[in-house]
Amino acid sequence: MTGVDERELLFRRLSAALGRRAGTGGAPSLAEEPPPVSGGGADRAERFRQALSAVGGVVLSDPPEEALPVLGEALRAEGVAALFFPQEDAGARRLAEALIPFGPFTLTTAEEVRGGNPALTAGFRTADAGIAETGTVVESSRGGGTLLPGLLSDVHVALLPAGSIVERMDEAFAIYADDPPRNISLISGPSKTADIEQTLTVGAHGPRKIIVLLV
Amino acid sequence: MTYTTGMDPQRSIPVSLFFTCLADAFYPRVAFAAVTVLERFGAAVRVPLSQTCCGQPAFNSGNRKEARAMARKFLLSFPGEGYIVTPSGSCAAMVKHGYPVLFRDEPRTLALAHAVGERVYELSQFLVEVLGVTDPGSDFAGKVTYHDSCHLRRGLGVVEAPRTLLRAVPGVEFVEMEESDRCCGFGGVFSVKYPQISCRMTEQKVERILATGASWVTSGDLGCLMNIEGMLSRVGYPVKAIHLAEVLAGTPASPSPGAAGKGTS
Amino acid sequence: MQSTAHLFARNAQKALADKPLQAALGRATGRFLHHRAEAVAAFPGFEEARERASEIKTETLARLDEHLGRFIAEATRRGAVVHVARDAAQAREIAVRIAKEEGVALAVKSKSMASEEISLNLGLQQAGVEVVESDLGEYIIQLAGEPPSHIIAPAVHKTREEISELFGRKLGEPPTDSIPALVAIARKHLRARFLAAGMGISGANFLVADTGSLVLVTNEGNGRMGTVLPRVHLAVAGIEKVIPRMADLPTFLRLLPRSASGQPLSSYVSILTGSRREGDAEGPERMHILLLDCGRSAILEGKYREVLKCIRCGACLNSCPVYQSVGGHAYGWVYSGPIGAVLTPLLVGLPEAAPLPDASTLCGACGEVCPVKIPLPDFLLELRSDARTQGLKTPGEIAGMKGYAGVMKRAGLLEALERVGGLLAQFFTKGKPVEGLPYPFSGWTERRDFPAAAAQPFRKQWKNRRGVRE
Repeated sequence: MTGVDERELLFRRLSAALGRRAGTGGAPSLAEEPPPVSGGGADRAERFRQALSAVGGVVLSDPPEEALPVLGEALRAEGVAALFFPQEDAGARRLAEALIPFGPFTLTTAEEVRGGNPALTAGFRTADAGIAETGTVVESSRGGGTLLPGLLSDVHVALLPAGSIVERMDEAFAIYADDPPRNISLISGPSKTADIEQTLTVGAHGPRKIIVLLV
Repeated sequence: MTYTTGMDPQRSIPVSLFFTCLADAFYPRVAFAAVTVLERFGAAVRVPLSQTCCGQPAFNSGNRKEARAMARKFLLSFPGEGYIVTPSGSCAAMVKHGYPVLFRDEPRTLALAHAVGERVYELSQFLVEVLGVTDPGSDFAGKVTYHDSCHLRRGLGVVEAPRTLLRAVPGVEFVEMEESDRCCGFGGVFSVKYPQISCRMTEQKVERILATGASWVTSGDLGCLMNIEGMLSRVGYPVKAIHLAEVLAGTPASPSPGAAGKGTS
Repeated sequence: MQSTAHLFARNAQKALADKPLQAALGRATGRFLHHRAEAVAAFPGFEEARERASEIKTETLARLDEHLGRFIAEATRRGAVVHVARDAAQAREIAVRIAKEEGVALAVKSKSMASEEISLNLGLQQAGVEVVESDLGEYIIQLAGEPPSHIIAPAVHKTREEISELFGRKLGEPPTDSIPALVAIARKHLRARFLAAGMGISGANFLVADTGSLVLVTNEGNGRMGTVLPRVHLAVAGIEKVIPRMADLPTFLRLLPRSASGQPLSSYVSILTGSRREGDAEGPERMHILLLDCGRSAILEGKYREVLKCIRCGACLNSCPVYQSVGGHAYGWVYSGPIGAVLTPLLVGLPEAAPLPDASTLCGACGEVCPVKIPLPDFLLELRSDARTQGLKTPGEIAGMKGYAGVMKRAGLLEALERVGGLLAQFFTKGKPVEGLPYPFSGWTERRDFPAAAAQPFRKQWKNRRGVRE
């Protein structure tokens, strides 16, 4: 009850403060920003790589047979022992399984990780999009997708179709049109903090490393 | 000696000197130095003696009634047309930006304030932007560092003019200090209300000055210089504070402000 | 939060004497400034984005009722439950009611200044709900039982030794002098809390009207954890956080991290729209959005409206030489630095926070860095004037100002006094600088000399040399 009353009272206060009658609509009166100018596709992947590398991310664009050993070594170097991926994400599954010979890695599930599996993990997932401007990987709950591989893991491996890299943030938001899924996550680097003595430290809550595999 | 100027030195440019109350009461030599430099470049300097204080201390402390009284007096002291030049970024900014706030509810005075404000220039700004001076013709000699007074730099947007002029003085070895645009901690009433915070800021400014190895620190505002000089002189550091106008006027130099300090005499 | 803003002078003195704090402040603000300057230099569109962001915010505030109405409608349509609180007490009541109705015993919270305004933690804890801060800095100071001292870096004043000792005492962890080890300890303890919590509490960096979305920007990723894992999400946000559309978001995302920490973009941006949908793998079953007025509609009405444009980046703090000298605690309430010196008097009242607007040299550095172009120095001046009209100035100051204005009314009187001053200076200090001024100016000369009055003022010397012609 109080909620409804308070809301009405708030709008009365706002209208009074603004010296006008309560309006409806809420359509912005500012013109939209001019449409972004997009660079070429190949350059764009390179700009994405540069931007993400600048914030400590790793971008691998080699063909799978060359990328696998590099990726395996990177995961071992971080002490990763177990790999997990969304069950429905075929690309992520294929990649994780193909990595086993480059281990020792075991396969685990998000539920186990959530349940407190103490092993260091790498979480795999196919991203919705990449943003060249900021070196950002876009993941979301679109179509029931899970965010846990990029959330609970120690190393996050994102599979990014090169064709899904856009130039600017604006374009990335546009892919969800007017109906954004519950959760859109823009990932631009490792989980980090400088809260202790202003010393940059990775792995605060989420992955200490993000590796993007361009596919 | 010939001076480079964009104007015909024979043609006299009428300039009213807004000498500021600080120069009047504590640093007359700075006002004289400003006159020297202006006259060197063909200005016909008149000094309206009915001027007192622009009212900034009252305005900055929120005492607008008193500030308005002083501002009115100022506006009446500078009637007519022609440039109004002052050796202070802060006082210039007060007239240009403070007066319109003071008189926002008095349309006629506001119009006058705008008209007068448009005539106001800080000295180095006037020399470079209006007179086109590239060589101030000063024989000042020494290693000099420059402190950006906040109101000259951020209030009036004057960043390069003082540097251009300093660099053009053959005897001046100009050296930038770190964070030259960081406030020296004066802030007028602030330095009286919060002297300890003020001193902490001044201390940091003094550290930056000392790190340059300069013998002189100059600036476009006497408030900053009075503050910086106050600490230099108290501790006895071998650096003297000197107003930009004095550097540009050159010899015969009056004793520098710092020269009166215990440590430097 | 209970304000101690009226004690600014005392708080500031304490801060100036605190050596570790001084060292940390110097390091932190220097680092922020340096990174910000680099990031701005590396992004040619910064000024343009700043201009645009300022316009968008101004425009939004001018029709805040419409945009907020749109936000509420869209968020509700997508499954969020929107609550409105008039003041802090009501906001706490609503939060407690939500926690009770949802059966929450443990909540994890990511940093939110708005929640500090309403003392949310205290309210929930008094109602038996445990609240764990999950931002590392906030977690540390929560363990230490202190309020935060910086919008962006709340534990900026703590050394690793103090933190190790704290973790030993509160968490039973062995001592370490390794910062990564300290971070790992916090991660381990907080991960367990994230997984056990019934409710995640967050603030909001932006509320997007056209989609009803809430935007959270973090580097640690705690904002994501707390809004994905627990079964309830409670977001607390001021009504001024609204921006008209998703298309406006990039402009702000280009400004906020660059201004705050000098990053092109923070590691994580979460855009959260409504509650968990059917078929979603995770996400909260219920999303509550608690919108705070708490004095904002009153600000909207007056001459300080533009202060509501603030996006809480902290750039004005880092650039402020007063903040750099005394840190955040001295300001005595949630917000510190120049934005605090303006916002606190407006939210808790000028009588309580009267010393804050005076705590600035008006150097203008804050106005120069503000990514949404809030005229902070102008507002500080305006508040000082309000203090006079509200009768908050000391009789001494007013008498002094009247006397000074009285002298300045007549050049002749001024000259006479200047000449007396010159004589006194000759008599007492022989024209040398003054080492001790009387009260209330005595603080000035504690560590600084004051110049002696000239033997003759300029105006007199000028008349002598050039005659009385003007």
